[in-house]
Amino acid sequence: MRFFDLLTMSVNNLRRRKLRTALTVLGVIIGTASIVVMVSLGIGLKEMTVEQYASYGSLNRIEVMSNYGWGSDSDEEGFLVDETMELFAQIPHVESVSPTLQTYVTLKQGAYTSGTSLIGVSRATLEEIELGQGTLPNPNSNTMELVVGNMVARNFYNSKTGRGYWDTGEMPDVDLYNDSFFMTFQNTGMSDGKQKKYVFPVSGMVAGSAEEYNEHSYGIYVDIDQLKDQLKRVYKKNPIPGQPTNKKGKPYNYFVYDYAYVYVDDMDNVLEVQNAITEMGYQAYSNMQWLEQAQEQTDMIQAVLGGIGAVSMFVAAISIANTMMMSIYERTKEIGVLKVLGCSLGSIRNMFLIEAGFIGFMGGTAGLALSYGISKIVNQFLGSALMGGQSGDISRIPPWLSGMAIVFAIVIGMLAGLFPAIRAMKLSPLAAIRNE
Amino acid sequence: MEETKARETMIQVKDLYKIYKMGETKVHALDGVDFEIYRGEFCAITGPSGSGKSTLLNMLAGLEHPTKGEIIIAGKHIEKLNEKQLVTFRRERVGFIFQSYNLIATMNAVENVALPLSFRGIPKVERLKRAKQYLKLVGLEKFMKHLPNQMSGGQQQRVGIARALAVNPQIIFADEPTGNLDSKTTMEVLKLMQKIVKERNQTLVMVTHDNNLATYADRIFKIIDGKIVHIEENHKEVDLMALEQIYEAGGVIENQTATSDETVDPEEISEPEIMTEAEGGEEV
Repeated sequence: MRFFDLLTMSVNNLRRRKLRTALTVLGVIIGTASIVVMVSLGIGLKEMTVEQYASYGSLNRIEVMSNYGWGSDSDEEGFLVDETMELFAQIPHVESVSPTLQTYVTLKQGAYTSGTSLIGVSRATLEEIELGQGTLPNPNSNTMELVVGNMVARNFYNSKTGRGYWDTGEMPDVDLYNDSFFMTFQNTGMSDGKQKKYVFPVSGMVAGSAEEYNEHSYGIYVDIDQLKDQLKRVYKKNPIPGQPTNKKGKPYNYFVYDYAYVYVDDMDNVLEVQNAITEMGYQAYSNMQWLEQAQEQTDMIQAVLGGIGAVSMFVAAISIANTMMMSIYERTKEIGVLKVLGCSLGSIRNMFLIEAGFIGFMGGTAGLALSYGISKIVNQFLGSALMGGQSGDISRIPPWLSGMAIVFAIVIGMLAGLFPAIRAMKLSPLAAIRNE
Repeated sequence: MEETKARETMIQVKDLYKIYKMGETKVHALDGVDFEIYRGEFCAITGPSGSGKSTLLNMLAGLEHPTKGEIIIAGKHIEKLNEKQLVTFRRERVGFIFQSYNLIATMNAVENVALPLSFRGIPKVERLKRAKQYLKLVGLEKFMKHLPNQMSGGQQQRVGIARALAVNPQIIFADEPTGNLDSKTTMEVLKLMQKIVKERNQTLVMVTHDNNLATYADRIFKIIDGKIVHIEENHKEVDLMALEQIYEAGGVIENQTATSDETVDPEEISEPEIMTEAEGGEEV
């Protein structure tokens, strides 16, 4: 028998008993909707957790610390130098390596003064910074251009009163973007003489107001090569503060980086790369390792939610089986007639399977529509309340979930219809002959 | 005698037994039956109720398995076939006419006739074309779109006959095909069956408890207590004519007990016809 003919017969049979079909479909609608909504909450929770961690810093990034200063200050092995960077770059899945050189500087504008970190990073890292104003430093400039954190200004204090924002609650009267300010490097300790004051152009400001924290809020970012040049100019042959020295107290003739960022091609490979770096004897941290733990939790929550949804789908499956069973008892004679007329056993089985599958299909489709509705309501009224004020939708239905829901409903319907269908197939054709 | 030689055996039954176990006792529904039916023959199996005639028909149509014995239809042993093969056998060779018509209630006349064709995987257009052709053959061209419950018993049985014929089967089995019909319709239906089968050289095996109806057949097998007690050759057209006259005159048929309460009021028969005329105008 052709599939289309089977389908027509099955659908016509369903149409014969509209109320019963509708009630069974209703069961599937509720089952599908409960699974989809529950899973969508799980997905929402998971994605929001990822988003939360991503706001702390890129999830593809590993932070590697050099080992000096922890009891091995003369040991060159633990140093993060250019050669180490090349080594890192060769680890599989590593996209780029960005060393970071950090030094402490004092800033002064008018009566206000403040200390802050001057952070030299690679071009790639600079490009990751979200700018509120201005542009990134010009790489070809022969002077050092700055990208200033959006919270740097808040840390200034009045050098006369000694009071700053934290004491008075007022924002210091400084404008780092439009007005120039002096920058002083640290003393070397060898020469007592006062350090020179420098003025550097500010090329950009990190995005955000003075209250909006992000990972670049507190620092001043510069191109690492420009920073190296600048430090050589400032300290000449003297040891640079923060840089290690050899046993004689002399500086090395190369820069040792404070830490480095290793960028990995995919979130899922971060832990693998991190382990490789740890094995090389460096300390490595990533947001991913925390996220991993959090994800284990959210996975479990998702499984529990899905399980709750599955219970109602199970009930729906039982009701499909029941409906099909009733239908087969009612149609015993008709099935017998079909068999006498030569309808193959497979066709009879398929007819009932399609019928059950069609109930699943209708319930699945309507249930999915209902899920979108519920999801919208949940997001409107519960979303931020559930996730402690974090913005974003708590219930998310990705396309794969929609597709899966309908396929799942059909499969469940057919599974529930399997036993009744086989039963129908085995009914005796003699039922057709009997005359009640 | 010339005729018998030329005849080709369609159904051959050898030493057929069917024994039902009812608790401790064994009931011999069929107790050693032998016969042959030839191609193009119209055979009637008659006997009182419980004689085993229906059991015999069910086994010939492959609906029941015999306890012992052989059934060879068109050279094929069907007693050895499994359920699946039997369905295929019925689909390809057999047409079946039921006592209670057994039309599918949700399908109209054309769809009902086309149904067995769909089991053969024939496309819809082709199916409906053939179904219409057969409905015309049984004289129901005006009732194509009628649902079973909009037709009289006689009309429904004509649909049933069209359905059995539509697959162009080698053998047609009919189980009390006129059991639910009144005497006038019974006669019409039987004449129709007889005529079509003769024209198309098909084999028709009919079970009936009514000896008078059996006179339409070429041969009559009389069966009592699971044994064939008498096979009667019946070529006397004169007898038939006489029978028809009896029916037309009185409409009372001897021995007709089971169907008497089913007798349809003449008004009821004419009712659907009136409906068709009204609908027929719309369709044109």
